[in-house]
Amino acid sequence: MSVIDEDEALIVAALAGSPHAWEKLVKRYECRIFNQGLRLMGNPSDAMDLLQEVFLGVYRNLHRFRGDAKFSSWLFRIAHNKAIDLSRRKRLLAGTPPNAEGEADSLESLPADRQQEPEISLMHSELNQRIIKRLSQLPLAQRLVVELKVFQSMTFEEIADMQDISENTAKTRFYAALKKLKQTTEDEHVLS
Amino acid sequence: MSCPKTAYLLQEYFSDSLSAQAGAEFDKHLAQCRECRAELDTLLHTRQELLSWQEQRVPHWDRGLELFKREHAATPPATGWFARWQWAPTAASFAMLCLLLLNTSVSVSDSGFAIVFGGAAERAEIDRSLATFEAQQLAEFESLIRRFEARQDSNNVQFLQAVMEQTQQSTAESLDRIYAYFEEQRLRDLQDMQLGYQQLADSDYATLRSLQELAQFVSYRDSAR
Repeated sequence: MSVIDEDEALIVAALAGSPHAWEKLVKRYECRIFNQGLRLMGNPSDAMDLLQEVFLGVYRNLHRFRGDAKFSSWLFRIAHNKAIDLSRRKRLLAGTPPNAEGEADSLESLPADRQQEPEISLMHSELNQRIIKRLSQLPLAQRLVVELKVFQSMTFEEIADMQDISENTAKTRFYAALKKLKQTTEDEHVLS
Repeated sequence: MSCPKTAYLLQEYFSDSLSAQAGAEFDKHLAQCRECRAELDTLLHTRQELLSWQEQRVPHWDRGLELFKREHAATPPATGWFARWQWAPTAASFAMLCLLLLNTSVSVSDSGFAIVFGGAAERAEIDRSLATFEAQQLAEFESLIRRFEARQDSNNVQFLQAVMEQTQQSTAESLDRIYAYFEEQRLRDLQDMQLGYQQLADSDYATLRSLQELAQFVSYRDSAR
Protein backbone atom coordinates (compact mmCIF):
# COMPACT_ATOMS: atom_id res chain seq x y z
CA MET A 1 0.00 0.00 0.00
CA SER A 2 1.42 3.44 -0.98
CA VAL A 3 1.77 6.34 1.42
CA ILE A 4 -1.18 8.09 -0.20
CA ASP A 5 -3.38 5.01 0.08
CA GLU A 6 -2.31 4.52 3.67
CA ASP A 7 -3.16 8.14 4.45
CA GLU A 8 -6.58 7.75 2.88
CA ALA A 9 -7.26 4.53 4.78
CA LEU A 10 -6.28 6.21 8.04
CA ILE A 11 -8.49 9.19 7.27
CA VAL A 12 -11.48 6.96 6.57
CA ALA A 13 -10.88 5.05 9.81
CA ALA A 14 -10.40 8.25 11.80
CA LEU A 15 -13.61 9.68 10.38
CA ALA A 16 -15.34 6.48 11.45
CA GLY A 17 -14.14 7.22 15.01
CA SER A 18 -10.94 5.19 15.35
CA PRO A 19 -8.58 6.98 17.77
CA HIS A 20 -5.83 4.56 16.79
CA ALA A 21 -6.08 5.63 13.12
CA TRP A 22 -6.07 9.29 14.11
CA GLU A 23 -2.99 8.84 16.27
CA LYS A 24 -1.20 6.99 13.50
CA LEU A 25 -2.06 9.72 11.01
CA VAL A 26 -0.73 12.40 13.35
CA LYS A 27 2.44 10.44 14.07
CA ARG A 28 3.22 10.19 10.37
CA TYR A 29 3.45 13.96 9.97
CA GLU A 30 4.01 15.52 13.40
CA CYS A 31 7.78 15.51 13.15
CA ARG A 32 7.83 17.34 9.83
CA ILE A 33 5.31 19.90 11.02
CA PHE A 34 7.17 20.42 14.32
CA ASN A 35 10.49 20.97 12.57
CA GLN A 36 8.83 23.30 10.10
CA GLY A 37 7.43 25.17 13.10
CA LEU A 38 10.88 25.41 14.67
CA ARG A 39 12.33 26.93 11.52
CA LEU A 40 9.43 29.31 10.97
CA MET A 41 8.58 30.30 14.53
CA GLY A 42 12.05 30.05 16.02
CA ASN A 43 11.40 28.21 19.28
CA PRO A 44 9.95 24.87 20.46
CA SER A 45 7.09 26.38 22.40
CA ASP A 46 5.71 28.24 19.36
CA ALA A 47 6.49 25.23 17.21
CA MET A 48 4.30 23.14 19.55
CA ASP A 49 1.56 25.76 19.37
CA LEU A 50 1.74 25.56 15.61
CA LEU A 51 1.72 21.76 15.67
CA GLN A 52 -1.38 21.66 17.86
CA GLU A 53 -3.18 24.30 15.83
CA VAL A 54 -2.39 22.51 12.58
CA PHE A 55 -3.72 19.16 13.77
CA LEU A 56 -6.73 20.78 15.41
CA GLY A 57 -7.46 22.39 12.04
CA VAL A 58 -6.96 19.05 10.31
CA TYR A 59 -9.26 17.31 12.80
CA ARG A 60 -12.00 19.91 12.39
CA ASN A 61 -11.81 19.82 8.61
CA LEU A 62 -10.98 16.18 8.01
CA HIS A 63 -14.48 15.46 6.68
CA ARG A 64 -13.91 18.12 4.01
CA PHE A 65 -10.77 16.46 2.68
CA ARG A 66 -11.86 15.04 -0.65
CA GLY A 67 -8.72 13.24 -1.70
CA ASP A 68 -8.33 15.34 -4.87
CA ALA A 69 -4.86 16.29 -3.68
CA LYS A 70 -2.39 14.43 -1.51
CA PHE A 71 -3.12 14.57 2.19
CA SER A 72 0.42 15.83 2.82
CA SER A 73 -0.10 18.78 0.41
CA TRP A 74 -3.35 19.64 2.15
CA LEU A 75 -1.69 19.33 5.56
CA PHE A 76 1.29 21.52 4.66
CA ARG A 77 -0.99 24.12 3.17
CA ILE A 78 -2.82 24.26 6.50
CA ALA A 79 0.54 24.43 8.33
CA HIS A 80 1.66 27.28 6.06
CA ASN A 81 -1.49 29.31 6.72
CA LYS A 82 -1.41 28.60 10.45
CA ALA A 83 2.24 29.71 10.63
CA ILE A 84 1.29 33.04 9.06
CA ASP A 85 -1.65 33.43 11.48
CA LEU A 86 0.47 32.56 14.49
CA SER A 87 3.26 34.96 13.47
CA ARG A 88 0.74 37.77 13.07
CA ARG A 89 -0.84 37.01 16.44
CA LYS A 90 2.55 36.95 18.13
CA ARG A 91 3.49 40.23 16.51
CA LEU A 92 0.24 41.80 17.68
CA LEU A 93 0.76 40.49 21.20
CA ALA A 94 4.32 41.79 21.21
CA GLY A 95 2.97 45.17 20.07
CA THR A 96 5.19 45.20 17.01
CA PRO A 97 3.58 46.92 14.01
CA PRO A 98 3.17 44.86 10.82
CA ASN A 99 6.35 45.21 8.85
CA ALA A 100 7.09 45.71 5.23
CA GLU A 101 8.61 42.92 3.21
CA GLY A 102 12.08 44.31 3.52
CA GLU A 103 12.15 44.39 7.31
CA ALA A 104 13.11 41.48 9.47
CA ASP A 105 10.23 40.23 11.60
CA SER A 106 12.26 37.90 13.58
CA LEU A 107 12.86 36.37 16.91
CA GLU A 108 14.41 39.67 17.82
CA SER A 109 10.93 41.12 17.88
CA LEU A 110 9.93 38.57 20.54
CA PRO A 111 10.35 39.20 24.24
CA ALA A 112 13.98 38.68 25.20
CA ASP A 113 13.30 36.00 27.81
CA ARG A 114 11.58 33.89 25.20
CA GLN A 115 14.82 33.58 23.30
CA GLN A 116 16.70 32.59 26.38
CA GLU A 117 14.45 29.70 27.32
CA PRO A 118 16.71 26.92 28.60
CA GLU A 119 14.73 24.26 26.71
CA ILE A 120 15.86 25.81 23.44
CA SER A 121 19.50 25.34 24.21
CA LEU A 122 18.84 21.85 25.47
CA MET A 123 16.79 20.76 22.51
CA HIS A 124 18.49 22.46 19.65
CA SER A 125 21.71 21.21 18.35
CA GLU A 126 24.23 23.92 17.77
CA LEU A 127 23.77 23.63 14.04
CA ASN A 128 20.01 23.97 14.22
CA GLN A 129 20.33 26.96 16.49
CA ARG A 130 22.58 28.63 13.96
CA ILE A 131 20.11 27.96 11.16
CA ILE A 132 17.21 29.26 13.23
CA LYS A 133 19.15 32.38 14.08
CA ARG A 134 19.91 33.04 10.43
CA LEU A 135 16.36 32.33 9.30
CA SER A 136 15.04 34.65 11.98
CA GLN A 137 16.79 37.53 10.23
CA LEU A 138 14.50 37.10 7.24
CA PRO A 139 11.07 38.65 6.82
CA LEU A 140 8.29 36.08 7.20
CA ALA A 141 7.49 36.12 3.48
CA GLN A 142 11.08 35.19 2.56
CA ARG A 143 11.36 32.67 5.39
CA LEU A 144 8.24 30.92 4.08
CA VAL A 145 9.65 30.73 0.55
CA VAL A 146 12.93 29.30 1.86
CA GLU A 147 11.02 26.76 3.95
CA LEU A 148 8.90 25.65 1.02
CA LYS A 149 11.74 25.62 -1.52
CA VAL A 150 14.64 24.21 0.50
CA PHE A 151 12.97 22.06 3.13
CA GLN A 152 9.73 21.04 1.43
CA SER A 153 11.34 20.81 -2.04
CA MET A 154 8.44 22.56 -3.71
CA THR A 155 8.69 24.11 -7.16
CA PHE A 156 8.31 27.85 -7.59
CA GLU A 157 5.04 27.17 -9.39
CA GLU A 158 3.69 25.32 -6.35
CA ILE A 159 4.97 28.03 -4.00
CA ALA A 160 3.35 30.73 -6.11
CA ASP A 161 0.08 28.82 -6.05
CA MET A 162 0.20 28.29 -2.30
CA GLN A 163 1.07 31.88 -1.49
CA ASP A 164 -1.13 33.38 -4.18
CA ILE A 165 1.80 35.27 -5.71
CA SER A 166 3.45 35.16 -9.12
CA GLU A 167 6.21 32.69 -9.86
CA ASN A 168 8.64 35.55 -10.47
CA THR A 169 7.86 37.03 -7.07
CA ALA A 170 8.56 33.67 -5.48
CA LYS A 171 11.90 33.43 -7.31
CA THR A 172 12.84 36.99 -6.36
CA ARG A 173 11.99 36.35 -2.71
CA PHE A 174 14.04 33.18 -2.68
CA TYR A 175 17.06 34.83 -4.25
CA ALA A 176 16.80 37.81 -1.90
CA ALA A 177 16.52 35.42 1.04
CA LEU A 178 19.62 33.48 0.00
CA LYS A 179 21.59 36.69 -0.38
CA LYS A 180 20.47 37.88 3.04
CA LEU A 181 21.39 34.52 4.59
CA LYS A 182 24.78 34.67 2.92
CA GLN A 183 25.32 38.16 4.31
CA THR A 184 24.32 37.02 7.80
CA THR A 185 26.76 34.13 7.59
CA GLU A 186 29.56 36.46 6.54
CA ASP A 187 28.71 38.82 9.41
CA GLU A 188 28.85 35.90 11.85
CA HIS A 189 32.29 34.94 10.59
CA VAL A 190 33.52 38.52 10.96
CA LEU A 191 32.20 38.71 14.55
CA SER A 192 33.67 35.37 15.54
CA MET B 1 30.47 42.56 -7.60
CA SER B 2 30.85 44.10 -11.02
CA CYS B 3 29.02 41.68 -13.33
CA PRO B 4 25.62 43.15 -14.31
CA LYS B 5 24.22 39.72 -15.16
CA THR B 6 24.75 38.11 -11.75
CA ALA B 7 21.37 38.83 -10.18
CA TYR B 8 19.35 37.75 -13.21
CA LEU B 9 21.44 34.66 -13.92
CA LEU B 10 21.51 33.41 -10.36
CA GLN B 11 17.79 33.96 -9.96
CA GLU B 12 17.25 31.85 -13.05
CA TYR B 13 19.78 29.28 -11.88
CA PHE B 14 17.59 28.39 -8.91
CA SER B 15 14.53 28.28 -11.13
CA ASP B 16 12.99 24.86 -11.75
CA SER B 17 12.42 25.55 -15.41
CA LEU B 18 15.96 26.24 -16.56
CA SER B 19 16.12 24.92 -20.10
CA ALA B 20 19.11 22.94 -21.38
CA GLN B 21 20.09 25.80 -23.66
CA ALA B 22 19.86 28.34 -20.84
CA GLY B 23 21.85 26.00 -18.65
CA ALA B 24 24.57 25.71 -21.23
CA GLU B 25 24.75 29.49 -21.64
CA PHE B 26 24.87 29.88 -17.92
CA ASP B 27 27.75 27.42 -17.62
CA LYS B 28 29.56 29.26 -20.40
CA HIS B 29 29.16 32.56 -18.56
CA LEU B 30 30.26 31.04 -15.26
CA ALA B 31 33.45 29.73 -16.87
CA GLN B 32 34.31 33.30 -17.87
CA CYS B 33 32.93 35.33 -14.93
CA ARG B 34 34.69 34.99 -11.61
CA GLU B 35 32.19 37.19 -9.73
CA CYS B 36 29.21 35.14 -10.77
CA ARG B 37 31.02 31.93 -9.95
CA ALA B 38 31.97 33.16 -6.49
CA GLU B 39 28.43 34.39 -5.83
CA LEU B 40 26.92 31.09 -6.97
CA ASP B 41 29.31 29.13 -4.77
CA THR B 42 28.40 31.11 -1.65
CA LEU B 43 24.67 30.85 -2.35
CA LEU B 44 24.94 27.10 -2.90
CA HIS B 45 26.94 26.82 0.29
CA THR B 46 24.30 28.81 2.14
CA ARG B 47 21.59 26.53 0.83
CA GLN B 48 23.64 23.50 1.76
CA GLU B 49 24.05 24.80 5.29
CA LEU B 50 20.29 25.10 5.59
CA LEU B 51 19.93 21.51 4.42
CA SER B 52 22.18 20.38 7.24
CA TRP B 53 19.20 20.85 9.55
CA GLN B 54 18.86 17.91 11.94
CA GLU B 55 15.34 16.68 12.43
CA GLN B 56 14.32 17.13 16.04
CA ARG B 57 12.02 14.85 17.96
CA VAL B 58 8.64 16.15 18.89
CA PRO B 59 8.15 16.67 22.63
CA HIS B 60 5.47 14.51 24.17
CA TRP B 61 1.94 15.65 23.44
CA ASP B 62 -1.44 13.90 23.41
CA ARG B 63 -1.89 14.27 19.62
CA GLY B 64 -5.40 15.54 20.14
CA LEU B 65 -6.45 12.10 21.33
CA GLU B 66 -8.35 13.44 24.33
CA LEU B 67 -10.44 15.64 22.10
CA PHE B 68 -10.84 12.87 19.56
CA LYS B 69 -12.00 10.35 22.15
CA ARG B 70 -14.29 12.84 23.85
CA GLU B 71 -16.02 13.75 20.61
CA HIS B 72 -16.21 10.19 19.32
CA ALA B 73 -16.98 8.49 22.59
CA ALA B 74 -20.15 6.34 22.53
CA THR B 75 -22.74 7.59 24.99
CA PRO B 76 -22.97 5.10 27.90
CA PRO B 77 -26.45 3.70 28.59
CA ALA B 78 -28.27 5.80 31.12
CA THR B 79 -29.41 4.20 34.35
CA GLY B 80 -31.58 5.17 37.33
CA TRP B 81 -34.92 6.94 37.63
CA PHE B 82 -33.92 9.59 35.10
CA ALA B 83 -33.36 6.91 32.48
CA ARG B 84 -36.84 5.44 33.15
CA TRP B 85 -38.64 8.80 32.98
CA GLN B 86 -36.52 10.73 30.51
CA TRP B 87 -39.17 10.08 27.82
CA ALA B 88 -41.68 12.14 29.83
CA PRO B 89 -40.61 15.65 28.73
CA THR B 90 -40.60 14.53 25.09
CA ALA B 91 -44.07 12.97 25.45
CA ALA B 92 -45.40 16.11 27.13
CA SER B 93 -43.94 18.27 24.38
CA PHE B 94 -45.50 16.02 21.75
CA ALA B 95 -48.91 16.16 23.45
CA MET B 96 -48.72 19.96 23.61
CA LEU B 97 -47.75 20.08 19.95
CA CYS B 98 -50.77 17.88 19.03
CA LEU B 99 -53.12 20.12 21.04
CA LEU B 100 -51.69 23.13 19.29
CA LEU B 101 -51.86 21.63 15.78
CA LEU B 102 -55.41 20.27 16.19
CA ASN B 103 -56.57 23.62 17.53
CA THR B 104 -58.15 21.93 20.53
CA SER B 105 -60.25 23.98 22.91
CA VAL B 106 -61.88 23.09 26.20
CA SER B 107 -65.02 25.08 27.03
CA VAL B 108 -66.54 24.96 30.49
CA SER B 109 -70.22 25.86 31.00
CA ASP B 110 -72.91 25.32 33.66
CA SER B 111 -73.95 22.06 31.99
CA GLY B 112 -70.42 20.64 32.03
CA PHE B 113 -67.35 20.99 29.80
CA ALA B 114 -66.72 20.19 26.16
CA ILE B 115 -63.56 19.52 24.18
CA VAL B 116 -63.73 20.89 20.67
CA PHE B 117 -61.22 20.34 17.81
CA GLY B 118 -60.99 23.02 15.20
CA GLY B 119 -61.45 26.76 15.16
CA ALA B 120 -65.25 27.44 14.60
CA ALA B 121 -66.50 26.66 18.09
CA GLU B 122 -63.57 28.47 19.53
CA ARG B 123 -64.27 31.51 17.35
CA ALA B 124 -67.96 31.58 18.40
CA GLU B 125 -66.92 31.27 22.01
CA ILE B 126 -64.41 34.06 21.56
CA ASP B 127 -67.07 36.25 19.87
CA ARG B 128 -69.46 35.59 22.74
CA SER B 129 -66.84 36.36 25.30
CA LEU B 130 -65.88 39.49 23.43
CA ALA B 131 -69.53 40.70 23.22
CA THR B 132 -70.05 40.10 26.96
CA PHE B 133 -66.83 41.80 27.76
CA GLU B 134 -67.72 44.76 25.54
CA ALA B 135 -71.17 45.14 27.23
CA GLN B 136 -69.57 44.99 30.64
CA GLN B 137 -67.02 47.55 29.63
CA LEU B 138 -69.74 49.85 28.23
CA ALA B 139 -71.86 49.59 31.38
CA GLU B 140 -68.85 50.26 33.55
CA PHE B 141 -67.90 53.18 31.38
CA GLU B 142 -71.37 54.75 31.55
CA SER B 143 -71.49 54.26 35.31
CA LEU B 144 -68.12 55.86 35.57
CA ILE B 145 -69.28 58.83 33.46
CA ARG B 146 -72.36 59.26 35.63
CA ARG B 147 -70.31 59.17 38.79
CA PHE B 148 -67.90 61.62 37.31
CA GLU B 149 -70.69 64.02 36.29
CA ALA B 150 -72.26 63.84 39.75
CA ARG B 151 -68.96 64.53 41.38
CA GLN B 152 -68.32 67.44 39.00
CA ASP B 153 -71.73 68.99 39.79
CA SER B 154 -71.16 68.63 43.52
CA ASN B 155 -67.72 70.17 43.19
CA ASN B 156 -69.09 73.09 41.15
CA VAL B 157 -71.79 73.89 43.74
CA GLN B 158 -69.26 73.74 46.55
CA PHE B 159 -66.96 75.97 44.61
CA LEU B 160 -69.66 78.54 43.86
CA GLN B 161 -70.73 78.59 47.50
CA ALA B 162 -67.20 79.09 48.61
CA VAL B 163 -66.74 81.91 46.10
CA MET B 164 -69.92 83.61 47.17
CA GLU B 165 -69.13 83.33 50.87
CA GLN B 166 -65.69 84.65 50.31
CA THR B 167 -67.04 87.51 48.19
CA GLN B 168 -69.67 88.45 50.79
CA GLN B 169 -67.20 88.30 53.60
CA SER B 170 -64.74 90.40 51.73
CA THR B 171 -67.46 92.99 50.88
CA ALA B 172 -68.51 93.32 54.56
CA GLU B 173 -64.90 93.62 55.63
CA SER B 174 -64.32 96.32 53.01
CA LEU B 175 -67.36 98.35 54.14
CA ASP B 176 -66.24 98.14 57.76
CA ARG B 177 -62.82 99.32 56.77
CA ILE B 178 -64.28 102.21 54.68
CA TYR B 179 -66.61 103.16 57.49
CA ALA B 180 -63.77 103.18 60.02
CA TYR B 181 -61.66 105.23 57.65
CA PHE B 182 -64.42 107.81 57.15
CA GLU B 183 -65.06 107.97 60.90
CA GLU B 184 -61.40 108.52 61.54
CA GLN B 185 -61.30 111.26 58.91
CA ARG B 186 -64.35 112.89 60.39
CA LEU B 187 -62.82 112.96 63.88
CA ARG B 188 -59.56 114.32 62.53
CA ASP B 189 -61.44 117.09 60.65
CA LEU B 190 -63.37 117.92 63.79
CA GLN B 191 -60.19 118.28 65.77
CA ASP B 192 -58.68 120.44 63.04
CA MET B 193 -61.77 122.59 63.04
CA GLN B 194 -61.67 122.97 66.83
CA LEU B 195 -58.05 123.94 66.65
CA GLY B 196 -58.82 126.47 63.96
CA TYR B 197 -61.60 128.00 66.00
CA GLN B 198 -59.35 128.19 69.02
CA GLN B 199 -56.63 129.90 67.02
CA LEU B 200 -59.15 132.25 65.53
CA ALA B 201 -60.55 133.04 68.97
CA ASP B 202 -57.08 133.63 70.34
CA SER B 203 -56.32 135.89 67.50
CA ASP B 204 -59.54 137.83 67.98
CA TYR B 205 -58.80 138.11 71.66
CA ALA B 206 -55.35 139.49 70.93
CA THR B 207 -56.84 141.96 68.49
CA LEU B 208 -59.33 143.14 71.09
CA ARG B 209 -56.62 143.59 73.67
CA SER B 210 -54.57 145.60 71.18
CA LEU B 211 -57.58 147.81 70.40
CA GLN B 212 -58.26 148.21 74.10
CA GLU B 213 -54.66 149.23 74.74
CA LEU B 214 -54.79 151.59 71.79
CA ALA B 215 -57.97 153.16 73.13
CA GLN B 216 -56.45 153.56 76.59
CA PHE B 217 -53.40 155.20 75.05
CA VAL B 218 -55.48 157.55 72.99
CA SER B 219 -57.66 158.53 75.99
CA TYR B 220 -54.57 158.99 78.13
CA ARG B 221 -53.00 161.30 75.49
CA ASP B 222 -56.17 163.31 75.12
CA SER B 223 -56.45 163.78 78.87
CA ALA B 224 -52.83 164.77 79.02
CA ARG B 225 -53.46 167.55 76.52
